[in-house]
Amino acid sequence: MSCANLFGLDNCVKCTICVSHCPVARVSDKFAGPKQYGPDLERFRLEEAGAVCPSVTYCTNCKNCDVACPSGVNVSAMICRAKGELVGRHGAAWRDRLMARVDLLGKYSRLSPALINWCAGNSPIRWLVEKTFGVSKEMTLPRYAGQTFYDLFSYKKKTGGNVSGERIVVYYPGCYVNYHNPGVGMALVEVMVRNGIRVLVEKFNCCGLPLISNGFLSEAQKYARKNIQQLRSHLDRDYRIITSCPSCSLTLRREYREVLGLVDAGRLSSYVQDAFEYLWCMSRQGELDTSFKSVPLRAGYHLPCHLKAGGYGVPSREILGLIPGLRVHDLDAGCCGLSGSCGFKREKYANSMAIGWDLFRSIKEMDTKQVITECGICQLQIQHGAGVTVYHPVQVLAEAFGLGGYIRNY
Amino acid sequence: MMCRDFDLAIIGAGLSGLIAAAKAAEMGKKVLLLAKGMGVVELSTGCIDLWGYCLEQPEEVCRRPVDEIARMVGINREHPYAKVQDVLEESMRFFQRVCSDNGCHYLENKGDNWLLPTAFGTVRPTYLVPASMAVRSLFKAKSVLVVGFKELKDFYPEMLVRNLKKSGEFDPGCHMKTAITGVGGGELTPNALASRLEQPDILTGVISRVRNFLSPGSLVLFPPVLGDRRDTGVALKLARGLECPVYEVSNIPPALPGQRLLKTLLHYLKVIGVEVIMGCKATGAEISGGHCLRLDAEGAGGSIKIRSRAFVLATGSFLGGGLEARPGYACETVFNLPVKAIEGNWWDKDFFNKDGHPFSKFGIVVNDRLQPVDGVGRVLVENLMVVGASLAGCNYPVEKCGGGVAVATGYKAGKLAGEVGR
Amino acid sequence: MAIFDTQVVVIGGGATGTGILRDLSLRGIKGILVEQCDLAHGTSSRFHGLLHSGARYAVKDPEAARECLEENMILRRIAPNCVENTGGFFIQLPGDDPGYADKWIAACTEVGIEIEEADVRNLLKCSPALNKRIIRAFKVMDRTVDGFRLIRANVNAARRRGGRVMTYSRVTAIHQSGGSVTGVELTNMLTGEKSLIGCQMAVNASGPWIGEVAALVGLEVNVIKDKGTLIAFNHRLTNQVLNRLRPPGDGDIFVPHGAITILGTTSIAVDDPGDTRPECREVLDLIEIGRQMVPELEKCRLIRAFAGVRPLYQQTTAVSGRLVSRNFALLDHRQLDGLDGLISIVGGKFSTFRLMAERTVDLVARRLGVNAPCRTAREPLTNPVPKGALKRGIKVLGLSVAQRAAKRLGDDFAEVVRQAGHDPQKRRIFCECELVSLGEIEHVARDGDCFTLGDVRRKTRMGMGTCQGTFCCYRTLGALSKYPRFVVGDRLFLTDFLRNRWKGITPVLWGQQLREAQLSLGIYFTIFGLERMK
Repeated sequence: MSCANLFGLDNCVKCTICVSHCPVARVSDKFAGPKQYGPDLERFRLEEAGAVCPSVTYCTNCKNCDVACPSGVNVSAMICRAKGELVGRHGAAWRDRLMARVDLLGKYSRLSPALINWCAGNSPIRWLVEKTFGVSKEMTLPRYAGQTFYDLFSYKKKTGGNVSGERIVVYYPGCYVNYHNPGVGMALVEVMVRNGIRVLVEKFNCCGLPLISNGFLSEAQKYARKNIQQLRSHLDRDYRIITSCPSCSLTLRREYREVLGLVDAGRLSSYVQDAFEYLWCMSRQGELDTSFKSVPLRAGYHLPCHLKAGGYGVPSREILGLIPGLRVHDLDAGCCGLSGSCGFKREKYANSMAIGWDLFRSIKEMDTKQVITECGICQLQIQHGAGVTVYHPVQVLAEAFGLGGYIRNY
Repeated sequence: MMCRDFDLAIIGAGLSGLIAAAKAAEMGKKVLLLAKGMGVVELSTGCIDLWGYCLEQPEEVCRRPVDEIARMVGINREHPYAKVQDVLEESMRFFQRVCSDNGCHYLENKGDNWLLPTAFGTVRPTYLVPASMAVRSLFKAKSVLVVGFKELKDFYPEMLVRNLKKSGEFDPGCHMKTAITGVGGGELTPNALASRLEQPDILTGVISRVRNFLSPGSLVLFPPVLGDRRDTGVALKLARGLECPVYEVSNIPPALPGQRLLKTLLHYLKVIGVEVIMGCKATGAEISGGHCLRLDAEGAGGSIKIRSRAFVLATGSFLGGGLEARPGYACETVFNLPVKAIEGNWWDKDFFNKDGHPFSKFGIVVNDRLQPVDGVGRVLVENLMVVGASLAGCNYPVEKCGGGVAVATGYKAGKLAGEVGR
Repeated sequence: MAIFDTQVVVIGGGATGTGILRDLSLRGIKGILVEQCDLAHGTSSRFHGLLHSGARYAVKDPEAARECLEENMILRRIAPNCVENTGGFFIQLPGDDPGYADKWIAACTEVGIEIEEADVRNLLKCSPALNKRIIRAFKVMDRTVDGFRLIRANVNAARRRGGRVMTYSRVTAIHQSGGSVTGVELTNMLTGEKSLIGCQMAVNASGPWIGEVAALVGLEVNVIKDKGTLIAFNHRLTNQVLNRLRPPGDGDIFVPHGAITILGTTSIAVDDPGDTRPECREVLDLIEIGRQMVPELEKCRLIRAFAGVRPLYQQTTAVSGRLVSRNFALLDHRQLDGLDGLISIVGGKFSTFRLMAERTVDLVARRLGVNAPCRTAREPLTNPVPKGALKRGIKVLGLSVAQRAAKRLGDDFAEVVRQAGHDPQKRRIFCECELVSLGEIEHVARDGDCFTLGDVRRKTRMGMGTCQGTFCCYRTLGALSKYPRFVVGDRLFLTDFLRNRWKGITPVLWGQQLREAQLSLGIYFTIFGLERMK
């Protein structure tokens, strides 16, 4: 990147398109919008790095500004850096520190997932947590799985479940799959194995996105360095890094380089692939097993903001389109509103629900009980706001391969 | 890296690109719309300007735009309209149908230009307008009420009224009033305000407050914030509640009518199965033997290669990013097509020169099939069509023809692509 | 015809003229300043905003260098909100005469200018935009100064002691009787009304117009009118002033100024003191030279170019441009031409305006028999904004807006914050590029000498940022509807403002700025149809 035009600052013509696509500015009068906190103030931050208001924390890092911008301004990166400055100068609440460490929370949850899940569902405890920590008592907390993905995977490997195959990929599951929804990871592994691909899994660090979004940039940098270090040997062997979480994917591919300024992340970015991107490339070469069984499911599809922000289309849609019986309807309703840890925060919960309202309405209008989406956080918000069952597309694909047990009630 | 195949790949999500995609997809083609960001259509008034003023008397509003265009292309073969005259009226009907089918009605003024008020108090001629803006007989109004919102910083009813009085011959008895209402809260962006007005209780509150200022038979003008859904339901409800005709005026961006048009067209593209990829910049193309084989594009998260039987370049002019200017020369950013520019100054010394500025006319020269051609008329890329503001020869700031050129050229490109292989 | 009476009429509302008015007021002499346009509309706002450490002139003109050094220290002390303590560097590049560096070091030492050789590697780390092939770099005490603010501060200080200012008042005649100036006749440039000020003395401090004013009484004062073009980049390329370590020439100073960077200047003799239209050719030349110091300059967005006409004083007409001394001269027309009561102050630099004013008023006071000594170097021009007010401002307006406003408003800041505290509407940011709140705009619009949007701009920086007024001039005009002065002709206000902005945009009309221009056309032609508005 040229130091003369950092994050495309000079490209901004103040056209306000980012403002009209910002989900937060649409529902809140506290957030002046991406233009103000991004390129407008960035000019002043070159003189005084602290030129930023505390209300910048209302930004959910959904990146709709980046996608909408016709000028190639990296608005969200500017805002993330500004949050970093703010936190660096004035510190952050304990709640934010805790919520940014989803990996740490996950590790502690292993002491007793059942107890934590019970607490998460207990109103008096939630009331107390809201009063003391500012975690909204209204928002459904993600349930911790009985066994993590890493546990399940190594068990399966021991019992001979994951072997053979010419092709080898490395799977980066991310925290949500590991701690909350290991079924997605297992479905992905089974789908790959079914297609003769060997899946390698290691215990990786959190990608660091929750830290970036909350302004803890130096911590995020540490995470990123560890991941880059750990993945390096795989890149040397020319293994693709497969993800199922669009946010992890975007972080590995782009944020390490852009927001954290890690030069050696450049190589990584060309190796990371969305699982469906990988499968699509196989299918084009006729290497994908397409002997799908019918999955007579009628489901809405929600496009996660971070997948949209990737700017490479929706690879899962192509593959799902091959499954007989499956009818997927694009909900076309924008951001779900939860955006990582934002919607869990007491002061942001109302915004988060207001943003998601269009999506909930769209699901209701479609009158479906099933929604498909890639992102764990979107899944949680849709369950919370619309009360429907949500699947990752890879679970649907596993079902179509007759691998069974990933989809219920259709 | 992903590789994708299509019948038609369109670069740019402005009006012309969206229309091209809609037409080709309707004709059964597999279409991709690829854009690095949202098109400038959402910065526009949301109206389709066809041709504003008379050729001979540039101060006179033109009453028969379609006929005037027919006369104009007789004189000026360089104008983009000259390449699409065969489909001009057809494209307008197509546009109207697509929008209406998707809840956003566009009205025609019996072949005449509408004369619509702006937020600055000027009046502007335009051809197709959303129902929420279609002010009929502005100058015959008995009384006009202009309503602003205290949460909005870009709309000033007093300034509007002050200038509107000078903009034409109103009935001497016409009474103009202003009112400021509110929806609660601090400063709101037009989008936030529009989204609040979608809530029934807030709208009811606005109706009851505005009623106090209203005299019977008034025409009520609002800033362009009446609802953020595709339809114009909020304007209708306001009109019903106030028992007066209610309209939005055009204003500086962000303004909702342009956004609604974008939303409507994007929605329709999804319905008819066009794949839309935003945030993805076309970085280059492989051209061999005058044929585009492949387009390379890059998003924030990954890159894709696109193979397609035909391509449409709808990346716009300088503002849209289709053209790029350096000191002394201009270039086209994806295919490196030759840009028709002029020698000497690109601008006039006076910003408000009534003939506009030469740079507005810069662009790509095409033949009647919208294929880019070189100086002697040879086709440069045979399966590529260029549409909208990327085209040379159109002085849209003064001619008031940006929307019309975009719709007509986009439509023709979509149609031509749709006919291939039939 | 309105008739006024005073002791001294000061002609010219630039740094020197307003400095003289302040000095007069501090010595208890009654004065009225008359200006043909807005304050700071001429050369005093059309420069790079560099408050010289003196180092630039040390070799060629040690006397001027010494003056710069002294004035630099004084201004820093008396006008803290107008001066930014950026520091600066002199940079020697490959190809620059190494011998000059030694000569320069010796000269600086001789004059007493502090210089310190800097570690090139460290410098490159802090300013990554700089040419990596720098040979030597020296740190100096260069600072930046805001011409608009300083002039307003001068005026405010004078007004507090009874000084008066009349803007948009052009001198159309100087009355004399018995070899003595008796009065000055004015024409209002906005209304055409005439007025007369009776006075004992008149001071001609009209910069490049000095010859025009002198001609009113049939005198000849020769100044070389030397046009200097400068360009403004969209963002800060450097946080320090950058000078080239070689004999002063074109395009060798980069000055960080608020959010922008200014690169200047050129030097071309012109005939018309109002010839401030920058040319594209000059811009390209500046970039070409500037690239030697900042190689990526071509990729940086320019937002505009502007030009000022320096009045360089010469007794003979043999030399021109940079060879003419940047020194000033005080012309006593009683001694020179036998006309009592007229003094001209010519030449000089912005950095030494206070000293020029002091010398002038010394002479005026002598003539008027006033003994009061000059106090302009000791009396604070503006007071530092109190910490408490700034804290409250940050709370009300937010950090960045408050910091900017505090610098711009100085002593008036607390009042604007107080009002914004009561009225949330006043906290709205109207100029989003330069962070100007409605409260600030209304504050200056209420001021007696604000007649056009351009006046609001000069006093607030509204419309001086990236979009060059495209968005903010419309909303500012709307918000000023409550002031009768601003409702007389919306179209004229808007078109005049945008035409003026256009003058500086056209020489840099490529890249992003052409996109910006197309957006501006889209708004004012397509959305508003303003070009045909009646």
